[in-house]
Amino acid sequence: MLIEQAVVLRKNVCQMVCVRSILLIGICILIQSCASYGSHATTMRDGLLQGKPELSLAIAEQKDPDQEEVIASLDKGMLRRINGDYVGSNEILEVAKQEIEKLYGVSITENLAAIAINETLRGYEGDRYEQLLLHAYMAMNYIQIGQIDGARVEMLQANVKMMEWGDEPEEDAFTRYLEGLIYESLGEQDSALISYRKAYTVYKEKGGQQYPVAPVGLKKDLLRLLAKQRLWSEYKSYKKEFNMTKYKPPKVSKKFGELVVILHNGLAPIRGETAIPIFSTEVQQNLRVAFPTYKQHKKRLYTPQVSVNNKRYSMETVEDIDALARYSLGQAMPGIMLRATARAVVKYNTQHSAGESSALAGFLMTITNLITERADTRSWTTLPQAIELKRIKLPVGEHDVQIQMLNTAGQPVDVIKQNVVIKSRRTSFLIKHWSAPVPKLNQVVTQ
Amino acid sequence: MSTTLLKTGQLIILSGVLFLLAACNPTVTRVDSDSVTDLSGKWNDTDSRLVAEEMIQDVLSRGWLSKFNRSEGKSPTVIVGTVRNLSHEHINTRTFVADMERELINSGEVEFVASASERDEVRSEVKDQDLNSTEETRKALGQEVGADFMLQGSINTIVDAVSGEQARFYQIDLTLIQLGSNRKVWAGQKKIKKTVEKGGFRL
Repeated sequence: MLIEQAVVLRKNVCQMVCVRSILLIGICILIQSCASYGSHATTMRDGLLQGKPELSLAIAEQKDPDQEEVIASLDKGMLRRINGDYVGSNEILEVAKQEIEKLYGVSITENLAAIAINETLRGYEGDRYEQLLLHAYMAMNYIQIGQIDGARVEMLQANVKMMEWGDEPEEDAFTRYLEGLIYESLGEQDSALISYRKAYTVYKEKGGQQYPVAPVGLKKDLLRLLAKQRLWSEYKSYKKEFNMTKYKPPKVSKKFGELVVILHNGLAPIRGETAIPIFSTEVQQNLRVAFPTYKQHKKRLYTPQVSVNNKRYSMETVEDIDALARYSLGQAMPGIMLRATARAVVKYNTQHSAGESSALAGFLMTITNLITERADTRSWTTLPQAIELKRIKLPVGEHDVQIQMLNTAGQPVDVIKQNVVIKSRRTSFLIKHWSAPVPKLNQVVTQ
Repeated sequence: MSTTLLKTGQLIILSGVLFLLAACNPTVTRVDSDSVTDLSGKWNDTDSRLVAEEMIQDVLSRGWLSKFNRSEGKSPTVIVGTVRNLSHEHINTRTFVADMERELINSGEVEFVASASERDEVRSEVKDQDLNSTEETRKALGQEVGADFMLQGSINTIVDAVSGEQARFYQIDLTLIQLGSNRKVWAGQKKIKKTVEKGGFRL
């Protein structure tokens, strides 16, 4: 009898230990999945900042071997690109694209988890600007492997996406501009004109906020194509609007071709976590909530300057990803705070009811809730801070092109050199990434 | 009381583990290659097959074949040019072009010559034979058959979309152009329309 009881008791203890360890493992998994993306991104980006992009890529490739997380695939795609693997980059970005598509629609379980545990348990599909830039980078990969038709396909997909978002057109200015460049290089000037017009509309409406002011280069492109298609009344009205009354469309010559220089400058901002106590009227208590913020101010970028054939050209900012990221978070903030408050109440109630059954359970629940309260710091942080562009008309033949990076004093801190071939009446692309000046030990920077 | 609680807990965990295990094994079902499998609404094998069927039937039933036979006294030789993808999807145009090629060759009424990309490999082999093969089996350079027609085409799409719903229209155009005279002797067309609806909720 006594033995039987002892056996039952031992069984119970065993079961309890078993269940506890399973619970513990569960919590560990939760905590692990909560390990913020921000800290991973910081380590990953170190390589880029030290001029060793291959290190960044190695760190990125270790993450998410099953290729299920959009954010990991986006980072891999960008870093493969920076390391010159354009085909590999497109392969993984295509994976990201498919995963984003799978995340379409409102998830019930993920939203429940977001309210019960934290926001990082929601599938990350990327902000709208990130989803559009995904297509833009894939298009640039296709350009760089010489498949301009593939680039065109990507632009059409971005177009469908913008169309789907419908009534409040969330068009991306750079994507539209790039679309125009691709159409024009394919000889489809009528389509290019439409893209330039749309890009200009975005710059005009949102310039100075989440977009830079309309680049002069785009204005010239718009006027040039309007003149070519003899849309004179629109040409005149734009000329007046741009205050470019002296503008004359350049003559087309067989002896010239065009170079489009695109520079991806700096690195996008990283989201950090801020936790504050907020007072809940529902439970009459101060509750701790965590939410993402941009802790660092916008960084001052080095100024790129293109030089070809002893001539210098300044580049124009066509996309300000820093501003886009901050704006996007600002737009999402009311929703994030709403869910955070709801979550805090749910967590408070679990603590409270656990505390009623036993003090230890209540304490454990409080700890768990504290640990699991993490902000969602995910964003595509391998994106550049800004994209800069310059179109240069050049004589047919080979040219040595340099992009110098200037500091605030106008002194060059780094230079990118590349030989380009210009073909008659064709567009050549020179697309480069630059993150930071590489600290060169024992080496004088020569101009 | 506590044991029942534990048991329920264990059951839940067990079912969770089972569910996870179940997810590990992919299920494979073999299906007929002619069956329609529309998964995402994107261009798929069914579309490619429909295009090939339509084009093959059309190209063999039109007058250009008999006309050429009458005037030249031989079957025409065709070369496959490029089928440009101007759609919004990355479409492999080789599949239906290869289908068409096969049907036309097997019909015995049309001959095909190797396309520009295929030729290089064949030529290097012939060059190699020049050095390494016996005299009787050696093939000479400059004995290739010049094509009479070139097959060209394009895929275009029109997509209309609102949130969660899409109407996709594909138009595939193929033309046979007589080399030398640049006359278009045959134009085939296939239109495909689909609507795709995405669910607003998921698990």
